[in-house]
Amino acid sequence: MKLTPTRRRSTRQHGRAVVIAGAALAALVAVGCSSSGSSSSAPSAGASSASGQKVTLSFWTWVPNMNKVVAIWNKAHPDIQVQVQTQASGDPELTKLLTAAKAGNPPDLAQVEYQALPTLVSNNYLANIAQYAGSLKSDFPAGNWNQVTLGTSDVYAIPQDAAPMALFYRPDLFKKYGLTVPATWAQFAADAAKLHAEAPGVYLGTFSAVDPGEFAGLTQQAGAQWWSASGTSWTVGIDDAASQKVASYWQGLIASGGMNNQPQWTAAWDKGMNDGTYIAWVSDVWAPSDFPTTAPAGAGKWQMAELPQWTAGGNVVGNWGGSSTAVMAASKHQQAAAQFAAWLNTDPTATAALVSDGGIYPADSAAEAALSAPPSYFANQPNFWNLAKQYATAAANVTWGPDVNVAYNEFQTVFGSAASSKGSFLGPLTAVQSAVVSDMKKSGFTVSAG
Amino acid sequence: MKQAQKRTAPRLPGGRPPGRKAGPPARYDGGFGHRAGGLAPYAFVTPAVVLYALVLLIPIGYTVYLSLEKSQVSGLGLGAGARRQVFAGLANYASAITDAPFLSSLLRVVVYSVILVPVMLGLALLFALLLDARRVGLRRFGRLAIFLPYAVPTVIATLLWGFLYLPAVSPFPSILSTFGLSMPNLFTTHVALLSVANIGVWGGTGFNMIVMYTALRAVPSELYEAARIDGASQRQIALRIKIPMIAPALVLTGVFSLIATLQVFNEPQTLSPLTNTISPDWMPLMRVYDLAFNDNNSYEAAALAVIIAAVMFVGSYFLLRVSTKRVFQGR
Amino acid sequence: MALTRVDGALTQAPATAPQGSKRRGRDQRTALVPTVILLLGALYCLLPVAWVLIASTKDNVQLFNTSTFEPNGSLWSNIRDLSSYGGGVFWHWMLNTALYAGGGALLSVAVSALTGYALAKFEFRGRSTLFNLLLAGVLVPPVVLALPQYLLLAKFGLTNTYWSVLLPSVLSPYGIYLARIYAMSAVPDEVIESARVDGCPEGTLFARIAVPMMTPGLVTVFLFQFVAVWNNFLLPFIMLSDENKFPLTVGLYTLLNRGASAPALYSLVVTGSLLSIVPLVILFLALQRYWRTDIASGAVKQ
Repeated sequence: MKLTPTRRRSTRQHGRAVVIAGAALAALVAVGCSSSGSSSSAPSAGASSASGQKVTLSFWTWVPNMNKVVAIWNKAHPDIQVQVQTQASGDPELTKLLTAAKAGNPPDLAQVEYQALPTLVSNNYLANIAQYAGSLKSDFPAGNWNQVTLGTSDVYAIPQDAAPMALFYRPDLFKKYGLTVPATWAQFAADAAKLHAEAPGVYLGTFSAVDPGEFAGLTQQAGAQWWSASGTSWTVGIDDAASQKVASYWQGLIASGGMNNQPQWTAAWDKGMNDGTYIAWVSDVWAPSDFPTTAPAGAGKWQMAELPQWTAGGNVVGNWGGSSTAVMAASKHQQAAAQFAAWLNTDPTATAALVSDGGIYPADSAAEAALSAPPSYFANQPNFWNLAKQYATAAANVTWGPDVNVAYNEFQTVFGSAASSKGSFLGPLTAVQSAVVSDMKKSGFTVSAG
Repeated sequence: MKQAQKRTAPRLPGGRPPGRKAGPPARYDGGFGHRAGGLAPYAFVTPAVVLYALVLLIPIGYTVYLSLEKSQVSGLGLGAGARRQVFAGLANYASAITDAPFLSSLLRVVVYSVILVPVMLGLALLFALLLDARRVGLRRFGRLAIFLPYAVPTVIATLLWGFLYLPAVSPFPSILSTFGLSMPNLFTTHVALLSVANIGVWGGTGFNMIVMYTALRAVPSELYEAARIDGASQRQIALRIKIPMIAPALVLTGVFSLIATLQVFNEPQTLSPLTNTISPDWMPLMRVYDLAFNDNNSYEAAALAVIIAAVMFVGSYFLLRVSTKRVFQGR
Repeated sequence: MALTRVDGALTQAPATAPQGSKRRGRDQRTALVPTVILLLGALYCLLPVAWVLIASTKDNVQLFNTSTFEPNGSLWSNIRDLSSYGGGVFWHWMLNTALYAGGGALLSVAVSALTGYALAKFEFRGRSTLFNLLLAGVLVPPVVLALPQYLLLAKFGLTNTYWSVLLPSVLSPYGIYLARIYAMSAVPDEVIESARVDGCPEGTLFARIAVPMMTPGLVTVFLFQFVAVWNNFLLPFIMLSDENKFPLTVGLYTLLNRGASAPALYSLVVTGSLLSIVPLVILFLALQRYWRTDIASGAVKQ
């Protein structure tokens, strides 16, 4: 997996949402699996700071300025100190987490994207913090809560943010090139062709093969279900019709010349975002956390709009990322860690700091309601948060399988070369499907191809 | 090579001086007769033996064990106790050998070596000959400058070259534009291999140059004088005399360079984030890392590591055996 | 080694040159083409180093916006930013590198000297087996070994410790090979024998007599292993998860990939690269007279 800095945020299942085959899972867990509270591989919850000793917790996260938020906690809790470490973000961070957990020395706390939770849970790397955090259920929308419980009575993480996708664009440059703000993907494609004709070195964005989460979100919008579970078997539908439609569409965009084929989160991409080479960005409501460092010269020049729809008048968007805060099973201070995780994601001071310093869109219902003033980068768009709430309502629901990391890794490899050579995306899509299915079968899962 | 012996006792028939323990006859040290040495040699080699076992034998043994296992889940695979480790026989080896990314990476590393090794050694030989030639200026400066890249760790070198390949910060676009050219894309499917190879050439030429140069300096110059008197040009001397005389050094550097090149990892791994073309499994060792840490599949990664190690071992063993025979004559 | 040519001499009229002054004159001029070729090679090798020197003097804005070979004055502020980043974690990386590479190479020299000397100067049962095994060890790529070492230590929960990176760095089969060759050629048998006859214990013999004779070769082993440890990126990369234990290579790599790939971090990476090259270059320059690659090339006089 490319170790690019990628940032993905969580999904929030708002109005539409919910349930990851919740009933089926609950039944299954009751029947097939042993109770997760007494897993043989998870050490017993260590002594917490209740004994009065000073405890230092390590916390792996990539939210910008997290150390400022943590400083608030550290000041108020001299007996539980939290140390922030940021070595990577997104998928590479998950890789490091898996590596460290396998070797028995993970951090106490980690930022875990929703799609990574099933992988970590199935490897017994996460602590069940239901006894410390179960009461928080009412603080979050049902969809988010289900993502961290996987439909069971165990709690594996505390939801942090929601991440419905959105379109960002430069109104001034759109005007300059005579483009209309696209409400549909057809319009987006027309814009791309027109832009390429007018200004060949300028793009509506780039197809980034290091961002499988982005692509996954786009297929969710089209109605794809990459994983679904019923009973004890999984169905994998990565190359279903909806995903194929999205893949072909983006292949066409690159071929038209209006969409670049370089990875995001690089120096070259930063430069392009800053100097007007890229005049739009298919992204997510957590973009305010990245814009200030990516494109500092563009403050106040970008606007957010709804993600283009497949059908005119449609109202559904996908999710790109979205994270939770999890306590690792190997932690010796699970209660203290759970306390901190709960504070971080529900305390009003903490969530306000997360919004203003970290630029995320909080999952906590109360925090969401408290959003008013737009992020400083989007001072030109006073109703920014209202729009974000709308998109969150329109977010598609999603089920994540137990080997998302395999899918994402394969995606980076095969879509990478396809994007470079501007070749077909359908072959790579099937390759991802086969890789996932064979990986699951090898591990003994019961799988049927969707 | 016989050495003069200083002794106080006369030699007895049979060649063994009195008072010395009977030991195996000495070999190439000219009948001097090392003592068996008692326990001393064993004590001396103990640290190496212990380390060898700890960092080489046992890890490899454990890896072989892991390569015969796999992970098995029950039900939906979520929740505690759903995953166990079971015996898998040779299934991992079968997957590893038929693993498509691995096979393409294998082809790629062969092409990479075929490009890199001759270019690097050719340049090293050229510079070594230049350093050794008469009437060449800037010798000291040249030797130091060309050797300098060896002191730069490959990861840092790749970071630096990565910046140089990046049009946004590189000097090349402006230099090239003065000639009316634009900077080509250095990461297309075919050029990427050259871009990565360039970093290897940059880093490795200096060391090999010094090895060859030192070998050249050991060649007695009487040979050159005779040829020069006969009117041979510098170039002819180089081709007909110098190169054949340092053939052992050439062979040794060739073998070690080849071994090193087949295990390339640092350069492509560091460049991978900058471009879509260099995938996470672009080279064989990257595939091993990829399987173990990105796919979280230690078992298959273990099998692949064993295969690679075994192949490298067998291949290099024969190559090295041939070249070290020259050094340890008569063993 | 018998050398009859002095390095750097540009002229040496052959004693029996039959031609007259014209030929002699040509011999004294520097040949242009070879010199130019050598110069081009030197420039190619120096280019990235020159680039990083100049680029470190720019702050993040200037890095992307000014002409490449135009230096600025921000070197000191870049170093300050680098030092304060992450609470001074860069200097941890420096120290860690000194530990892994320097400490590892030192220990490696000790082990290689002991083993090489024993293999060269003693006859004992198992000697050739041991030597063959060690030679075999050269053939297993250290990078391929990193994964097995990690898997083994992970089983016992011993990863993410200093020893997990240091220990594998100590064994150097190639260093033992070099030490053996050097012991064979630099330590005369008669010296050893007379010391033994005088009743000198083996350990003292080794430490007081053999090691000083082997020193130039051992410095080569040190430098070689130092560079090898520096370049074994994969081992610390997978062994360590605490960034305070990273060596420079892993730290800078992580910095490059971290978080927002923000321009601010790029100038830190550039400055960090410069600071990590400098000590090694100084080390090499200081020890260059010991750099005896003649033993590496196998061209040892028997």
